[in-house]
Amino acid sequence: MEQMVQGILVVNTETIPGMMITETLGVVSGSTVRAKNIGRDITQGLRNIMGGELVKYTELLEESRQEAIGRMVADAMSRGATAIVNVRFATSAVTAGAAELFAYGTAVKTE
Amino acid sequence: MAVGEGTWLVMGLLIALPFLLLALIGILWTVAYPLMLIWAVLFSSKKLDRQIASTTSREASLRESLGRDPLTTIDGGYRTDITSCGIVWTGVVFGPSHWHLLIGFLNNMIGGSIDIFQKVVSAGRAEAMQRLRESAIDNGWDDVINVRIDTSDMAPQGGQGGIKAVEVFAYGTGVKYG
Repeated sequence: MEQMVQGILVVNTETIPGMMITETLGVVSGSTVRAKNIGRDITQGLRNIMGGELVKYTELLEESRQEAIGRMVADAMSRGATAIVNVRFATSAVTAGAAELFAYGTAVKTE
Repeated sequence: MAVGEGTWLVMGLLIALPFLLLALIGILWTVAYPLMLIWAVLFSSKKLDRQIASTTSREASLRESLGRDPLTTIDGGYRTDITSCGIVWTGVVFGPSHWHLLIGFLNNMIGGSIDIFQKVVSAGRAEAMQRLRESAIDNGWDDVINVRIDTSDMAPQGGQGGIKAVEVFAYGTGVKYG
């Protein structure tokens, strides 16, 4: 089970079932900007003609999002939090080739 | 002089190599694209139907084995016996084929609802939701609460040509009942 990301509990609900939030430590966030590489662009461009899923881009975005979450968790750890609640994700395209993946939430102390 | 003709030739080739490669890719693209487009015209609709059928059957069999749909959008859930929880997420990059783009373009000129794009995006979204169910079950969760689904454009305005696809991103909190 991947409920703990480096010892910090991450959920996107407002409360954690079975735990009391004792203190909020502000908004924590993590982001990453990923460019697709040219080799992938060519193969995925060919795949795009046929339509359907672009597997390499799915993988790329998954890795990037993992990194964004990792940075958010590192931010929370530096504040001494034990959990992050109400996590939201946002995606924006900086240019045609690069996407920014952004994760944010509220760092809290629980007991 | 130490620099002979051979050295100049090698240097010239090294400088020209990237341009030659680009030209080669350009030529290959020009030749291959019409062939790929014909392939797409013939088979992309079948491929999409197959994808939809596969997603639907996986969803149906999972629902049958669990007796319910594990996804809910309720914040906090409706049961009080939750023992552990954690985030689950999944993303799918899904695009229409160039044949579907052409149909959509023609449909757009007539106006009204563009059914083909609706079908493509729905297929991507159904696939993302099904993967969220599967990854939640694989990670040992009983249910996923507070599910949110985002759809973002992979081909922003101003990007010439390139990829035409959307990313469907689904996330929620996996819960385990005691």
